[in-house]
Amino acid sequence: MKSAFNRSILALAAMFVVAAAGQAGAQGKLKSYQSGTKEFWTHPPDDWFLGDETEAQKGLAPPSGPPTGASEAELAAMMKKIKLPPGFKIEVYAPGVLAARQMAWGDKGTLFVGSFGLGNVYAITDNGGKKQVKTILKGLNMPTGLAFRDGALYVIAVNKLIKYDNAEANLDKLGDGKVVYDDMPSYAAHGWKYLAADKDGWFYVPFGPPFNIGIPPTSVSQIRRVDPKTGNAELVALGVRNSVGGDVDPRSGKYWFTENARDWMSDDTPSDKLNIISKLGEHFGYPYCHQGNLPDPKFAMGHKCSEFTPPVLNLGAHVAPLGMKFYTGNQFPPEYKNSILIAEHGSWNRHKYQGARIVRVNADPDGKNAKETAFASGWIEGDRGYLGRPADVILDKDGSILVADDWAGAIYRISYSKK
Amino acid sequence: MRARFVLETLCGMALSAIAAAPALAADLAAGKEKAELCTACHGEGGISKTENIPSLAGQPDQFIQWQLVFFRSGTRKNEQMQPIVEQISNEDIRNLGAYFASLDPPKPSKPDDNPDLSQKGAQAAVGRRCAFCHTDTYAGTKAVARLAGQREDYLLKALHDYKSSTRSGGGMAAMAEVAYPLSEEEITALAHYLAHL
Repeated sequence: MKSAFNRSILALAAMFVVAAAGQAGAQGKLKSYQSGTKEFWTHPPDDWFLGDETEAQKGLAPPSGPPTGASEAELAAMMKKIKLPPGFKIEVYAPGVLAARQMAWGDKGTLFVGSFGLGNVYAITDNGGKKQVKTILKGLNMPTGLAFRDGALYVIAVNKLIKYDNAEANLDKLGDGKVVYDDMPSYAAHGWKYLAADKDGWFYVPFGPPFNIGIPPTSVSQIRRVDPKTGNAELVALGVRNSVGGDVDPRSGKYWFTENARDWMSDDTPSDKLNIISKLGEHFGYPYCHQGNLPDPKFAMGHKCSEFTPPVLNLGAHVAPLGMKFYTGNQFPPEYKNSILIAEHGSWNRHKYQGARIVRVNADPDGKNAKETAFASGWIEGDRGYLGRPADVILDKDGSILVADDWAGAIYRISYSKK
Repeated sequence: MRARFVLETLCGMALSAIAAAPALAADLAAGKEKAELCTACHGEGGISKTENIPSLAGQPDQFIQWQLVFFRSGTRKNEQMQPIVEQISNEDIRNLGAYFASLDPPKPSKPDDNPDLSQKGAQAAVGRRCAFCHTDTYAGTKAVARLAGQREDYLLKALHDYKSSTRSGGGMAAMAEVAYPLSEEEITALAHYLAHL
């Protein structure tokens, strides 16, 4: 590595005269390589990581929201700005749910909510119409994913699946729970997860690579199907980048999932995806091929996109699709039956943010004839500002849906009424 | 072309800063009073004289707020911070953020004893796009930390903590993602370069 640095310093000597003179902000020129060629990836230069920079993307950075969440006044104002189709309305279900992520219902009507970055799991109970939010677990490692089966609350942190038996009767004293699966790496980046149960009670669990683009460690960039009863796990999908949402199609039993594509290519490529697992072990393309038809400029490594499973639908670049559910309720109009509702978290790696809304996708059980329509939008302000960022959707018993927002720290309810 | 992009970026950031402005204003005087809790470890005027304890002076408001929220929730684990944050309210958090952001940032007291290492650090910072989030002067902004003038030992500790996934940071764990591929040489060079800005 030392020789690489010396070589590079000689090559960039002029730039560092400026730096050494003590001027703040030694930006210098960004390098670029013909990194799509075979010679590049078989014999990359020692400082290859300096390639593929784009000056056009300077200044794009992941934003952070209000550290103590949106106030009730801000939430009330926000509700008026959300656009919905005719007959639908949105209201605040519960404020003060900081960094809210995946939601799961307990059998007795408790709404459990995970969180991003704060280590909390919340329980929301209804006390005669007034929602009470309690933090029932603290200090966990990114407990974004939750599920509830047979009286037990399941929480998936970065590298532990934890079971809390008889959860609703013990909200104030859940204890440490029992770790039922932990054969997982501890990488923090893209390590946060989501749980979707199938009819056998096994969970689909996604694993993201610990970086933007590269050849991932073999323990990640995949989806596994995990049995919480035995700790057995199957590798069901490969070549997946960052997936934080999925649901089993009630029509076919197949698992559909959202996937976030790589950054630092451009504002409009590659697109984020909606995928189906039709065959055990199929490969969805990462890092070699994006959006079904775009070879990676550096990591295609001679592969063709036709080797991989294409998406059901490309959802748009940098929309960040996360939690999703098939709509199986009876409250919404009949055309919503078996539609997929997807929470799009919104961009950071784009000059004009997009996403940050709920979209509706209708598709056949085999993925054909997929059509997307906007459902709930209005959380983006200006070019790069957020009022909120949807992270998950879940159905309520009455057929309305709840939306978790991890920027504003709140849960919303969207309902439909014919009149 | 470049100037236009910079201008657009700055305008965009200014707009989103206005859009993100908190509805409740902070109380600087209250923040200063509450910060008396902090001087024993973090130093007078927010400038740390203790190894592995960071300077807070000139850190962006939202960055300080987020770290206090992370400590309070237990997602950042630190024995010394734990008893302090247990007492802190949301209002305290906003006031402390505003107070530390108002302080003059630390300036390196000695000349750079290893300019070669700083040059390597400057190169690594360009290649790893640090300024894209931390800004061209590495002063940080909003929820992104000030790096310029921070203690070198603390920068080393932080980069190691991010690389090992001990600490994930905000902004969707951007630092964990960026630090994962850093080599030991880069980390050493970056810490030295940034501490001497």
